[in-house]
Amino acid sequence: MPVRAERPRRPRRPGLAVRDAPALIFAADMYGVQLDQLAALTGDDKSAKAAAARWKTLGYAATARLGPGPPWLWATRAGLMACGLRYAAAPPALSRLAHIRAVAACRLALESTAGYGAARAFWRAERRIRARHGVGVRQHLPDGEVHWPDTADVAWAGECWAVEAELTPKTVARTAAIMREILTRTGDYGCPAAEAAVPGRPPRHARALYVCSPAALPTVLRARAELGPLAARVDVRDLPADAHLPDVV
Amino acid sequence: MARAVARVVARVVARGVWRLLRLAGLAALTVAFAPVTLVAAGTAAAGWWRGWPPRRLYAAAAWCLPMAAVWLLAIACWPGNDSRWPGNSGRWPDAGGRWPPGLGAGPAWQRVVAAPYRAWLAMWQLGAHGHVAAAAVAVAAPAIPLGILLGARAWAIRLHRMETGSGGRSPAAPARFDARLWRRQVRSAKALMSAPAALPVLSPNGAILTGATIRTVRHRAGRAAAIPYERLRSHQVVIGTTGTGKTTLLLRLWAGFMAGGLRRYAAGAAGRPLLVVLDCKGGASSRKVADRARRVLRDAGARSTAIWPDEAALSLWSLPPDRLVTTLLDLIEHGTGGAAYYTDVMETLVALAVTAPCGPPAGAADFQSRLDADWLLMAYAGRPPAPVAHSRQAIADVALRFSALWRRLGPGLDGTGTFDDADCWYCVLEGTAEPSVAEAQARALTDLLASYAVLGGREILLAVDEFSAVARRLPIWRLYERARSLGLAIQVSAQSWEGLAGTEDERNRVAATAEGGIWLLRTPRPEPVADLAGGRVLVDTSRRLAAAGTWEAAGSSRQVRVPVLDGDLVRRLDVGQVAYIYRGGVTYVQVKRLVGTQAALAAVSVPAGAEVAGRVAGADAVADTVPLPRVGTGPAGAGPAGAAPVPPDAGEVLDAAFGARRG
Repeated sequence: MPVRAERPRRPRRPGLAVRDAPALIFAADMYGVQLDQLAALTGDDKSAKAAAARWKTLGYAATARLGPGPPWLWATRAGLMACGLRYAAAPPALSRLAHIRAVAACRLALESTAGYGAARAFWRAERRIRARHGVGVRQHLPDGEVHWPDTADVAWAGECWAVEAELTPKTVARTAAIMREILTRTGDYGCPAAEAAVPGRPPRHARALYVCSPAALPTVLRARAELGPLAARVDVRDLPADAHLPDVV
Repeated sequence: MARAVARVVARVVARGVWRLLRLAGLAALTVAFAPVTLVAAGTAAAGWWRGWPPRRLYAAAAWCLPMAAVWLLAIACWPGNDSRWPGNSGRWPDAGGRWPPGLGAGPAWQRVVAAPYRAWLAMWQLGAHGHVAAAAVAVAAPAIPLGILLGARAWAIRLHRMETGSGGRSPAAPARFDARLWRRQVRSAKALMSAPAALPVLSPNGAILTGATIRTVRHRAGRAAAIPYERLRSHQVVIGTTGTGKTTLLLRLWAGFMAGGLRRYAAGAAGRPLLVVLDCKGGASSRKVADRARRVLRDAGARSTAIWPDEAALSLWSLPPDRLVTTLLDLIEHGTGGAAYYTDVMETLVALAVTAPCGPPAGAADFQSRLDADWLLMAYAGRPPAPVAHSRQAIADVALRFSALWRRLGPGLDGTGTFDDADCWYCVLEGTAEPSVAEAQARALTDLLASYAVLGGREILLAVDEFSAVARRLPIWRLYERARSLGLAIQVSAQSWEGLAGTEDERNRVAATAEGGIWLLRTPRPEPVADLAGGRVLVDTSRRLAAAGTWEAAGSSRQVRVPVLDGDLVRRLDVGQVAYIYRGGVTYVQVKRLVGTQAALAAVSVPAGAEVAGRVAGADAVADTVPLPRVGTGPAGAGPAGAAPVPPDAGEVLDAAFGARRG
């Protein structure tokens, strides 16, 4: 009886390495995401877990249970290199988990709207801004910027919005100062100090979008009232329901 | 004869022996007190090498006193052989009768009194056994402060002898010593400036740091040259020729004023600071300085710097009507004698145009249209003023003169801005290319500023650079007299004493009222300022010539009065070195340069029909500047009169993402 020689098995390869590349870039830009937010990007929980497992196998991402709720996922050095991002690889800071989740929720909520997709707007995350920002220069950085292309078919085409996610209330004076700084800024972040606010030049941010928790809302509204004519350029909204960490209400 | 010779020889021998004995005694003392001697020598050498004033060395000795006090306290409280002390079993002195270095038997007061001697003794004993480090530690507490004190004293004596001319081998030695000392002091000042993060704009107590101190005369000698913020709230004068570091000094002072003023404003102690610079030189160099000033002031905390007339314009027409009439008349040169009649006619017509029943003019074009007989008759319908009906030709002449004036002045005074719109207004006047225009502009700007200062609420510094270009028609000493009451300080800078004003009387007025001090950079004729600085009494010593090239120690001294400010030293000052004269004293400062982050001037939007060259545009041309935002309300972009444009409604996206708008 002839014995058929067994073919040597080829080692199993991950196949197409990064099937959800935008999701990995999202996680890298936002410092990290929780798996439920990743599921919103990939479609469902199953695909999110599969993507996370694949990225971990490739060494592009790491996961851990950093706080309450689903595990967190963040891009490793190899993942950042694969995405072409020059950030310092580090897991999300424990003290900022709630804020990171809130900002990611804001971004997800905005990107899920039809108008955002149709206009092909671009979210410039705080991490991306900070990467360009000079070291040692103390200025307030927004949690994100939304750039609307000039070609978009919306009334606000060409505008740049500053997005601030407010979970805990600051003082009214501090909040008003931040609003004023955002609205009076004329230069990009990382530009020479003298170009940051040049009289006569158009402001960088056409409007400031404040997305607030119930706790921070009164302070933000009072701060906006102190701005005078500038208040017309501040839009205050509620945080999405899923923006909070599971045990933080 | 032989006896006389023998007596002389004996005297010489005795003198030699006495000198040898003295030297031997001194050497013995030096060796016996070797630690103190070493520290004293090191201190004096440090003072010499760095050119430090003795006061600083005395202060160092004082800072060592806590160490000596703790040492004495420890000796007084040392348990000795008292077994009542916890943990002490009477083990001192040990079996051999030895005590720790510096200690010994006796009550506390006796131990304290004897401590220096015992420490000295212990030092020698330890040293004899080869324990050099232990010997140094044993004697350090008393030796270091004493050594520093003696070294400081020796350095002070050396300085005093050189200053009075009694030191050195020859009468020329003090001058050479002083020149070398100056070089070392400059080197120390530069070393301080090169230290990282040294000399910020403000000191912790709010004083303005201008640089490192090189030398002081009748001023307190600190390492950093600091002046209280209040000095910049008084009038100051800056004199220095081109290329001596005047602009660097001015930028430093302006940044200090801005930073100090903002700190006081934040503390609620004063109004928000406003810096107005009239750069009367003009041209590209002024615009470069404007760019530097903007960057430096931005780093100092200024939110906005408006560059006039390139990027921003002011409104001359915001002046009160009566003040506006005076200013408009001052803008035009008048003759004297018989020409005074035409001046009166012009004043009457301008007053009629400005104070018309329909209100003051809103702009140059509006004013120009009012210089018309028909308009005036219509405006004063029912009660036409007499000059209008009979002076059509005069009205046409006045209109012609003002038309030429607006064309030459450009749009810089015909905008919508006010001084309230920025933290700093840097006004570039073309004093080199068009002196008459610069004079008129300077006059108008100071009138505007004086009018704005009356409102109060802001601490204002008016800096006039290259004052000589506009001095003819800007009698700034008149503004001096009422400026303080308006909360306005004036800083005048010129290239020379003669550039301060047209006549010697006016120059003296300007300099004599500089209560905030005079900054004098290298200038060929510092004598007038030296006279203002005052004098001091100095001991002048003459030396008796013993033989060719040798002088005896004997001589005579007398008191002489010399100027506080050394004119020759001022003539030799290097770039960045300045003498600050205040209240009869002088501080020589090496100014630290402020470097702002690199930036370019904002792009100028030029409307069609406007001439860019020389910043001259037609009187009826649209202002080539975008209105400035009010401080704290942000840039207006292209919005009218500083109002922020309201963005279009983005509710369709935001409502879908976050729900309804709040508030």
